[in-house]
Amino acid sequence: MRRLMGSIIEADKLSKLYPPKTKAVDGVSFNVEEGEVFGFLGPNGAGKTTTIKMLTTLASITSGTAKVAGFDVKHESARVRESIGVVPQELTADDELKGVENLMLLGKLHHVPQSEMKEKARELLRLFDLEEASERRVRTYSGGMRRRLQMAMGLVHSPKILFMDEPTLGLDIQTRTKVWEYIKKLNVSGLSVFMTTHYLEEADSLCRRVAIIDHGVIKVLDTPARLKERLGGNVLILEVSNGVDLSEFLRTIPTVSDVSRDGHMYKIKLPKTEDAIPAIVDGITSRGLKITQISFLKPTLDEVFLEVTGRTMREEEGEAQESWVQNVNIGRSSS
Amino acid sequence: MLTSGGRQADLLGDLSALTRRALLKWIRNPAAVLPGFFTALFYIALFGNSFNPTGIVPSNINGFQLTSSELEEVKTAILSQTFGGAATYISYLTAGIICLILVFNMAFGGIDLVLDRQLGFLNTILAAPISRASIYFSGVIQNMVKAMALGFITFAVAILLPNGLMLGKGFGVVDFVGAFGALALLAFALSCVFTALALSVKSIDSLVAIVNFATFPLVFTSTALFPAADFPSWLKAISNFNPITKACNAARLLMINGMLSSSQQISFGWDLAYLAAFAVAMGVVGYLAANKALAPR
Repeated sequence: MRRLMGSIIEADKLSKLYPPKTKAVDGVSFNVEEGEVFGFLGPNGAGKTTTIKMLTTLASITSGTAKVAGFDVKHESARVRESIGVVPQELTADDELKGVENLMLLGKLHHVPQSEMKEKARELLRLFDLEEASERRVRTYSGGMRRRLQMAMGLVHSPKILFMDEPTLGLDIQTRTKVWEYIKKLNVSGLSVFMTTHYLEEADSLCRRVAIIDHGVIKVLDTPARLKERLGGNVLILEVSNGVDLSEFLRTIPTVSDVSRDGHMYKIKLPKTEDAIPAIVDGITSRGLKITQISFLKPTLDEVFLEVTGRTMREEEGEAQESWVQNVNIGRSSS
Repeated sequence: MLTSGGRQADLLGDLSALTRRALLKWIRNPAAVLPGFFTALFYIALFGNSFNPTGIVPSNINGFQLTSSELEEVKTAILSQTFGGAATYISYLTAGIICLILVFNMAFGGIDLVLDRQLGFLNTILAAPISRASIYFSGVIQNMVKAMALGFITFAVAILLPNGLMLGKGFGVVDFVGAFGALALLAFALSCVFTALALSVKSIDSLVAIVNFATFPLVFTSTALFPAADFPSWLKAISNFNPITKACNAARLLMINGMLSSSQQISFGWDLAYLAAFAVAMGVVGYLAANKALAPR
């Protein structure tokens, strides 16, 4: 990951009210550091896309302030647009144009000099493995190719920060993993990324920090590791061969925070590390006891999400996917 | 205007990039281009013949039998007195049909812009540092180019049809430019209105509903299909202010007469001035409406 320099996004009490009374975003404040991949998680209608729209100048700000790349979103929107790349949820590449023509069009609209444009397009087509398909019309592309082209279109003018709204929604696991690789590669090259996602493993794998937003309010904001620690950390479940009470011994091990016993079963909480496991196993076996069952549970962002929003992410994934497919179908069938 | 890193906001560059994209899409889609030719053919050949008013003159009126030469005389008199001296009804009708094609193509041409909004393309370009005016004017130009191309096709079809458009004596390049100049002013004005409308609505259904509501009265209160001489006075008054009437009259005057008399030149000049003023007014109104529609909400 790139060395962090300063804030590329500064949002202060950002709010969006849709008349008459719908408060889509309600006073959110956060900073995104330069070089960081920042994830925005939340249930449907939580305010994720509205926040992206405000930060990318596509929606007006009702109150509060936001700076992107050092420019005020409200008063210096043209400067903000020059600094950002946007990869929307929809696949907006033009079906009737070739892949390379879509890139050239976006390059022209971002005023990339003609002399640089061809080389830049070639570089992006190579990066996203689209060289061979570049002269084909986009209507012949698969979903994964369209998504990759969409990412390339967001990068054609070398933005300082890339906004990605659900970058892997609707993609199969294999293509999704490939997109993650691209995002990691881009971040290593120095690009800051602000992304929303419904896939918690995606946020866990890509984001240095994540914010969970619900009903327009940021509920938690931290690194995925620290968010998981808040739930009490890792849990080791043991079953031993006889009923001797080992609770006292287990509590003496430094990284054990809590022990509960139910007959032969022990539930041991290990907030920070798994280093204690060998010590626990050694201690039990040296007492001549046998471990008959052992399992180790790591809390996931799914559990954090459930605790914060009261819903599981799986329900959200289903709804998001369904609504995305419907939107795409409506769009394509009308064309 | 400097935008960043030495990159210049370039209205003409943005305009040409967006317009080129729209026209490439149009040209590459034969389903969008070919029907234009057949529409022109159907309007001129079918409408022009089936609604031909000289064809309904009876040869026997209350037992009074007209000879074929008398019948021809009556038809010629109708054409010269009511239809501005046109040699055939199609000669009168052509300018009107071109106007009709312009109106309907302008009105429904906005569907592409609504789709751009629905498919997210509009947001993609709104997040780019381009002038909002270029989005509006590229919509205006692409609509105009598409509709005017159909206008030229209609003109050619009308000339090639037997007993079709018979141009006035001396009709030359200047007259052609004059006739299509008047039609282009109408096309520009309509394109401004319908582009702004298409950028303002959220769905194709809304656009179609509004367009259907607006276009039919616009066409039927004009002289596109029939002269105003026999209109009731209230309809005549409306028709007189209708820009379609002005464009039809101006283009028709040149197509039917070729060389214009001085009084016809004055009449043509007034129609052209009216259309120019209307085009400027609609350009400004459309621009303001489009600017509002494209502003972040």
